[in-house]
Amino acid sequence: MESAKVIETLGLRKTFRDFWRRPVVEAVKGLDFSVRQGEVFGLLGPNGSGKSTTIKMLLGLLHPTAGEIRVLGAAPSDTRVKARIGYLPEVSHLHPFLTPRETLMYYASLFGMSHGVAARRTAELLTMVDLAHAADRAVGRFSKGMARRVGVAQALVNAPELLILDEPTSGLDPLGCREVKDLVRLLARNGVTVLMTSHLLADVEDVCDRVAILDRGVLRAEGQIADLLRKPDAVRFLVEGLSEEEASALRRELEARAGCRVQQDFPAMSLEAFFLQVVAQDGRLRTFEMAPFLQAEHVPGKGPA
Amino acid sequence: MIKAVTQSVRRIGGVALLAVRASLRTKVVASLLVLLTVCVAVLPGVVKGDGTPEGDVHILLAYTLGFAFGIQCLATLWASCALFAAEIDSERMSLSAVKPVRAAEFWAGKWLALLALNAAVLLVVYAGVYAQLAWRMHRSGWEAADRPVSRRVTRPVLPTPREEARQTFELMRQKDLLPKGLSEKAVLRALEEKAQERYDVINPGEQVRWQFRLARPLREGEPVTVRVKFDTEYSTREHVKGVCRLSCRERPGKTVEVALDDFTQNALEFAVDTRAFASEEAGKEASRSGGNGLREFELVFLHAGDPHKSSALMVRFRQDVALLTPGGSFEANFARAACVQWGVLALLAAFGLTLSACFSLPVAAFVATVLLVLTMVGNSVVQVVTEEDEALWRNRIGIWVSRGVHGASSQAMSVEPLKALTNGERIEVGVLGASLAWNVAWLPLLLAVAGCAVLRRRELADAD
Ligand SMILES: Nc1ncnc2c1ncn2[C@@H]1O[C@H](COP(=O)(O)OP(=O)(O)OP(=O)(O)O)[C@@H](O)[C@H]1O
Ligand SMILES: [Mg+2]
Repeated sequence: MESAKVIETLGLRKTFRDFWRRPVVEAVKGLDFSVRQGEVFGLLGPNGSGKSTTIKMLLGLLHPTAGEIRVLGAAPSDTRVKARIGYLPEVSHLHPFLTPRETLMYYASLFGMSHGVAARRTAELLTMVDLAHAADRAVGRFSKGMARRVGVAQALVNAPELLILDEPTSGLDPLGCREVKDLVRLLARNGVTVLMTSHLLADVEDVCDRVAILDRGVLRAEGQIADLLRKPDAVRFLVEGLSEEEASALRRELEARAGCRVQQDFPAMSLEAFFLQVVAQDGRLRTFEMAPFLQAEHVPGKGPA
Repeated sequence: MIKAVTQSVRRIGGVALLAVRASLRTKVVASLLVLLTVCVAVLPGVVKGDGTPEGDVHILLAYTLGFAFGIQCLATLWASCALFAAEIDSERMSLSAVKPVRAAEFWAGKWLALLALNAAVLLVVYAGVYAQLAWRMHRSGWEAADRPVSRRVTRPVLPTPREEARQTFELMRQKDLLPKGLSEKAVLRALEEKAQERYDVINPGEQVRWQFRLARPLREGEPVTVRVKFDTEYSTREHVKGVCRLSCRERPGKTVEVALDDFTQNALEFAVDTRAFASEEAGKEASRSGGNGLREFELVFLHAGDPHKSSALMVRFRQDVALLTPGGSFEANFARAACVQWGVLALLAAFGLTLSACFSLPVAAFVATVLLVLTMVGNSVVQVVTEEDEALWRNRIGIWVSRGVHGASSQAMSVEPLKALTNGERIEVGVLGASLAWNVAWLPLLLAVAGCAVLRRRELADAD
């Protein structure tokens, strides 16, 4: 069954102009793509390829020069649509004089939430992004990653159905990266649609169902990540606990059976895994838990109403 | 429906709270308060008065409050210019703009924040000035007559300048005296200006008569003060003498006569005790008419100077002749003056906000300053414009802009609260209401509509 399209663009174009309306850059050149309900969609591309520009047009922050956009079935400027979206910009533009708590309360108030609901969600989100200890310090003095965490939290305050993340892992430590990836996966499992951009291809590979690759404003490739990356005629085995001689024997056996060369190596632990292991020894590695209100809002398996 | 309204109120509240926090934590308000404290605390000490209570009152009410208001006007204009512009320029707006907030809610929230901040600052300034006033009164033991008062101003019963202009116009038309080549509107405008400035010439030996009708009748025993401003040649002032006779329709037969021989001061003021009108006969009359108060007065002024030495007196009777009667407490009037100023600040805030929605901070601040200057010179531009200037279309735009700015600003500034306070004139509640309706409702609404239209169309992620 084909699920509903949450984002759909048709011939989307954006030309930036200078003060005299002369064209300066054509950042997006006729983009067609769609994101379906409940999937995690990755928008990839080199620097300056138009990813952020596309996202800003989806949010109504920039007006397209040409083309059509439907987000959750309506135009991006519709406030009813805005109420169902969460957005994390490339750079977290936070008000430096506010504390994380006040920041979240402010954005909650923009959704028309009552003080009680806003306060509860704020507390849960602060715990989730591990900022409860710094909840009452001004964000202006926060480290980049800490500010990023506040940004992630504010994107979730309305329990969005559609989450748009522009480079969500930039500035985060491996721990934070992993938590964001866990979060995205958990949200997706509960029916939230996610559109994210990233340069860290490993991150994209970990969480995205589908990707599109953008280059200089043009869509170069699009599809299921598994389909795009599959090497159709190669198989890899991973075996643990073999001695070196046993491994060599096994390889020779396989070569004889398959009639071709078989590659053999001893995989090292990834640096990320090693880092997490070291931090875990300090007892700092906490188990990531999604904020309770997000779980309650999004019942697993069934997309939000 | 109700849910939508409460949500909207919460959004506006959120935006307003952010603006208040921004101005409190970025020390805008703090530095303003320091400046104002210096102004309120130091200025009255530095400016040397003439030592009289009247002088002290003038320094506190006219200079100190005026200076503080000037500072507050600039601060409000500047802060409001920054409110949208800074947020858009720094791209912080992009985070708020993706939330389900309407442009009008952003505008209203920020404007309300400015209103609240201005109210708080005004409260501090006025409390400070009042405390000083009370302290001076206490320290130097001012007499009741020296204390600031609040009095109703009643001007002579006359047709309004507009009515008079119309009458004159009809008369001129009948006699075919209308100037050729001028539009009816231009003639009427000129006639109206003339009517406003019209004066009586009183030669020695002549007398003039003015009728007054009080809006609120006087009770027996309440004083009535006569104020007349004369224009005369300075060199002959010493020789001018006059006699004022005040009578009251409700108490016929009695006239209070005051001889005036010091015309060296421009404005003459003297109080009349209304008990002087009481007589047995009049008392009977009063009781027959149900003890009604005194309402209708007649003032006769006789030029009693030496015809050889003194010259004629001139009185612009629409502006310079008035009866002053008790009109509530000074404190209430003081508070009304604060309200008038608050209204002007609200208008400035709306003006700055809308500019801020249209332009980046430097441009908005520049445009605001230019328009402020235009309001100051607009008056003179409007007055010197001739029909010929207007015939050229390239002049017309400038003239229209000046006229528009002048029209709006003169309406906005039509009440002069500090002048009223120093002159001890009551600011009528109706006048205050009209001023607030214009400054806090109508003009801001227009500005808000314009600002929101721009805000909706603007690309809020664009950093330039
Ligand atoms: N406000 C603007 N005015 C003019 N040009 C702009 C503006 N914003 C973006 N551009 C241009 O549009 C192009 C695409 O920019 P965009 O920010 O969308 O790239 P991106 O794919 O997000 O890159 P990155 O990976 O570095 O974030 C760039 O050439 C950029 O210079
Ligand atoms: Mg980008």
